[in-house]
Amino acid sequence: MTKALGNFSAEERAAQEERLRKVWKTPGGWRYWTSVNNSEIGLWYGVAAFGFMLFAGVLALLMRLQLAVPDNDLFSVEFFNQAFTLHGTVMMFLFAVPIFEAIAIYLLPSLLGARELPFPRLSAFGFWSFLLGGIFVCGSIFFNSAPNAGWFMYPPLATKEEYSGIGADIWLLGLSFIEVASIAAAVEIIVGIMKCRAPGMRINMMPMFAWYLLIVAGMILFAFPPLIAGDLLFEMERMFHWPFFDSERGGDPLLWQHLFWIFGHPEVYIIFLPAIALMAMIVPTFAQRPIVGYSWIVLAAVGTGFLSFGLWVHHMFATGLPQISLAFFSAASEAVVIPTGVQIFVFIATMLAGRVIFSVPMLFGAGGLVIFVIGGLTGVMVALAPFDWQAHDTYFVVAHLHYVLIGGMLFPVVAGIYYYFPFVTGWRLSDAWGKVAFWLMFTGFNIAFFPMHFSGLRGMPRRVFTYPEDIGWDWFNLISTIGAFIFASGVLTVVADMFRPKVKLDTLNPWKAGTLEWTNNPDENWGMRSVPIITSRYPLWDQPNLQRDIEEARYYLPDAKSGRRETLVTSVLDAEPIQCLRVGGTSYVTIVAAMSLGGVFIALTFHWWLITAICGVITLGAILYWLWTGTAEIPEAPEMDVGMGESLPIYVSGPPSVGWWAMFITMVGDGTAFASLVFGYFFYWTIHGDFTNGIEGPGVLWPVIAINLFVLSWLLMLRARHLNRAGRLDEARVALVGATFIALGGSAAGLAGPYVHGMDPTAHVYPAIVWIIAIWTVVHAAAGCIMQLYCLARSLAGRMTARYDQDIINVTLYWHFLTVTAVVAFGIIGLFPVVR
Amino acid sequence: MSGGRLYGGASLHDGMSRIGGAYLSRSAQRGAVLRAALLFGCIPLSSCSGVQSALDPAGPEAANVATLFYVMLVGGSLIWIGVVGVLAYASRLGREPHSERMAGWVILLCGAVGPAVILGALLSYAVWLMPNLRPWTSSGEPGLRQIEVTGEQFWWRARYLDPSGAPLFEAANEIVMPVGERVLFTLKSPDVIHSFWIPSLGGKMDAIPGRINAVTLEASKAGLYRGACAEFCGPSHALMAFTVKAVEPAAFEEWLDERAAVDRPSDAEGLAVFLRHGCGACHTIAGTQANGEIGPNLTAVGARETIAAGTLPNTTEAIARFIRNPEEIKPGVHMPAFDMLPDGDVEMIAAYLKGLK
Amino acid sequence: MKRLLPKEVETLWTLFTAPTVWAFHFIVCYVVVAIYCEKALVWSIDFNAIRIGLGIFTLMALAMILLSAYLAWRQWGFGSGDPPHSQATDQDRRLFQGFATLLLSGLSFVAVVYVAIPLIFIAGCQI
Repeated sequence: MTKALGNFSAEERAAQEERLRKVWKTPGGWRYWTSVNNSEIGLWYGVAAFGFMLFAGVLALLMRLQLAVPDNDLFSVEFFNQAFTLHGTVMMFLFAVPIFEAIAIYLLPSLLGARELPFPRLSAFGFWSFLLGGIFVCGSIFFNSAPNAGWFMYPPLATKEEYSGIGADIWLLGLSFIEVASIAAAVEIIVGIMKCRAPGMRINMMPMFAWYLLIVAGMILFAFPPLIAGDLLFEMERMFHWPFFDSERGGDPLLWQHLFWIFGHPEVYIIFLPAIALMAMIVPTFAQRPIVGYSWIVLAAVGTGFLSFGLWVHHMFATGLPQISLAFFSAASEAVVIPTGVQIFVFIATMLAGRVIFSVPMLFGAGGLVIFVIGGLTGVMVALAPFDWQAHDTYFVVAHLHYVLIGGMLFPVVAGIYYYFPFVTGWRLSDAWGKVAFWLMFTGFNIAFFPMHFSGLRGMPRRVFTYPEDIGWDWFNLISTIGAFIFASGVLTVVADMFRPKVKLDTLNPWKAGTLEWTNNPDENWGMRSVPIITSRYPLWDQPNLQRDIEEARYYLPDAKSGRRETLVTSVLDAEPIQCLRVGGTSYVTIVAAMSLGGVFIALTFHWWLITAICGVITLGAILYWLWTGTAEIPEAPEMDVGMGESLPIYVSGPPSVGWWAMFITMVGDGTAFASLVFGYFFYWTIHGDFTNGIEGPGVLWPVIAINLFVLSWLLMLRARHLNRAGRLDEARVALVGATFIALGGSAAGLAGPYVHGMDPTAHVYPAIVWIIAIWTVVHAAAGCIMQLYCLARSLAGRMTARYDQDIINVTLYWHFLTVTAVVAFGIIGLFPVVR
Repeated sequence: MSGGRLYGGASLHDGMSRIGGAYLSRSAQRGAVLRAALLFGCIPLSSCSGVQSALDPAGPEAANVATLFYVMLVGGSLIWIGVVGVLAYASRLGREPHSERMAGWVILLCGAVGPAVILGALLSYAVWLMPNLRPWTSSGEPGLRQIEVTGEQFWWRARYLDPSGAPLFEAANEIVMPVGERVLFTLKSPDVIHSFWIPSLGGKMDAIPGRINAVTLEASKAGLYRGACAEFCGPSHALMAFTVKAVEPAAFEEWLDERAAVDRPSDAEGLAVFLRHGCGACHTIAGTQANGEIGPNLTAVGARETIAAGTLPNTTEAIARFIRNPEEIKPGVHMPAFDMLPDGDVEMIAAYLKGLK
Repeated sequence: MKRLLPKEVETLWTLFTAPTVWAFHFIVCYVVVAIYCEKALVWSIDFNAIRIGLGIFTLMALAMILLSAYLAWRQWGFGSGDPPHSQATDQDRRLFQGFATLLLSGLSFVAVVYVAIPLIFIAGCQI
């Protein structure tokens, strides 16, 4: 790829910089919070997640105080149960996953050589959703109404009102809201990594961090939706008494365990892989050489990503499933150790083949590895069902999971904080403080958690608020408590180091790293001064004058003449430039949308139906306004000069566009949630002799009519897209309206089946699961109809034309998924009871 | 019936002092100090680590799993030392870098091939072990001992069945089982999920509403063990323990007969107070009008090692304390407080119950 | 042979072939056994028939993975060049894809073998 480098005089560059600065400016005053720039959102996200971690850490210290001595009555049992439930929930949902969304949003653009990720407003929306949901869930403990049934929320303890109060609703709704934010972040990360890399950054050149994050975001897409589906069933049971988990009416508590752990186990790797990704950035820098075994890392990331979905039943080894089923999951649980071992040895091999500078980030990284290996080895043990029958739900597992998560996640994150602090702020943290913090954390951690292996094997169950004297647990617990406080003092030292005044560095790249992000100036908002052509995995080591050429604007996008925020879109495999994408700028709409959606979830918790409806309408309005003003805008010219003598289109539709990918990815996640509901249907069929319990089903007639109408509607949608592209706009509009009406008819027919047969969803689980599948489909159809009407309005307003047809193409893509959903849904509820 | 006759003195007294919780014997205190002193030697793993310890096995399943654990512990320690050793070597300053080719071999052999072989062998052994530890047992087997255990918030209902599965009698919070025979435990729950676990004998099994689970366990030596609920089940999850007495088969038969007998001597005055205050609406005492099914069966409650599901020692004072205000002892308990009863009635009931053997 | 097999596909998806085979094999084993053990009384099929059936299915899965490995090996130039494949060329990108796919095929092969181990040792539905 030999392209002409640009050549600008100092004055020209100053003018360019002036324009760039104006375009990427962060608003001042209170409007600062309306910023959507990745460096602000990433920072807020990270600080909020870190704050939640400290909060959950304090809860852990309080629990350790309660358990320090036997028969202790320092805290009430109610407080203790709320504290351990929130500790797990917050650490998992509000710290471990979000901190990586934060790091990814902050780091990815610089790492990939992009100005911005493709959907900055979506990131902002995700952040505000996360913050609001997080405060809602955490705040509940100050009103003594936090969830208290454990972070896994097993029914019936968590579903029945006589056992758990509003805390369960707060958990379900607050976290459902946060899961929405996670999926938004996953869409952003996948599209960003696939489409927004610097020219020349082929997939064999991608920084390791990007590889890992790509896999992790893919995992989020398949792991979170089953939990969302589970939450839906759970909340239907709590609010309307639909008996999904109530054994007296045909439900089964185990279905929740399946759905929860199909989410819950991949979740562990969703947390762990990004931490390893940070290590994969840090180790080569300090070994002063490229990573050894780049392809092995890809094997490890992809392999872990797949295998981690075959482990969920190892959380259910004591539920009485057939031994052979347990053994399948034992097998997969052992298999996943292999890619994990590969990851560890990739780092060791890289160090062996390099000259290691043992800095503070390396200290935390290596210390984390030492801890993590113990967690991995105890993981090998508990993955074997016979051993797990003893160790399950004891302090042995508490020790195991903290060794894995603190060694495999927290220590690498702290390593990352020390490593990337100069990148974010231009200051460097202290080596001396870092070493003190490390040794406090390392020794404190081991003193706290190592004895738990023994208290567990000596029979101490988890989640006990007290224990009797002298059955062999007291000394272990006292030591654990002491260790926990030493560990906490180490964490505090890190925090203090961050807030200590420091001197600005005079270099952008204090560690002499080789990856692209270190070319960024933290004082400027634009990310890359110009978007370079990449020809190496470690461009700063291998591409001479790269820093200078970037800063002298000799590469792509040296200017912002249009006054718009722009970034390059490139092809998936070989990263050839294909589009100059205009991304959204500063806006209130993201906050309004997030707050009103939050209002929906919070009002639902308290059964304030009217407020729920009002907030729902506001949310819909905000999202439509956001789409209308911020997406698929028709540009003033088809192409623009992107520098280096090249022109690229501004508007792209269909598979090459980022919007199409976002829709595709979202619908894959949505399809996974739907598949989870279908899994539920067949689960009930499996466990019951007659899963209908003699209740009449929706019949064959109405479901078949619904299927036909949905297929017809889909065909009309295809026709509308075709007509629009052919320029026959009026006919396209008619087809759109027709498709909408037919889909509404299909929805009515879909609901008519269970309705006319008088199926009562509170009577038994069979009518309940039929109704929920039908309603799921119809709600999606309603959303599809709104999209069609949106296209119609765009067309009438002249914002969608034959050439600029992104909207209708993406909506058609939605309709592909919707049609599959409808055919499967009504096929199953209508036909399966007949053929079985 | 005295416990000593059944179980042999030493293990009984040792066990009682531990199970009794708050009531420590002097020798046990000395033992605690000794154990503490040796804690960071190698003692954490030694036997005699407690009445509820998986490392102090008293049954074949627990013994096999303990052996499996020790093997994995030794192997795991060696692996850990190896990995940390290589890591330390690789971090050394001023070392000449190794070739990339050699480093690639490290990944292939140590990261991939080695683990694949070791884990394959370990997995095969563990999977082979599963059906051997817990062989197919159905309730129809002739001569099979069967106990139906129901976990309830926050206590255990134990229904002793004859080999055909027909109920003999009901007890609570205490399991008596014969040594050297497999016992089939059928597990149920009417409210939330509990988990039935006797670490000294073997692994746990959940009791799930709407499902009937089963686990067979065998005690290989007589003694007194402690079991507990292992699945979080609400406020007093921590206070849901039970006693397990493993006795010789002959003594077990004797106990079965004795326990099944309906007519037993009783303090008629205490019984009258018991019945007058409505206790019989929830509790059953065999041979009396008290036939409630809601709470624990109190027949022979005075012979139990503990009361309130392993929470208090079985003394008249403790029983009275529990009757007055159960919530204070067991948060979330379903039994109401009886502190409004006239003076002396609670004591009479407590004395009556303590006398039921 | 070469005629029968497709040329290198210019997509990222080939990377996922072998793990997808593993996932499919895993799900089939789990679902078949789960349904059999819940519904056995209704269908009255011998458990050994299930084991043999799943054993044959395992061999088919392994064959699929071997095929994927062969294709990856071919894309990797039959091992003619050593990693790291870090040049900025289409050629190196393809070699990288081939090598990574080959490694994933190896892992998937081992994982499928692991998942088949229970079929050897466990001969019933006992809990």
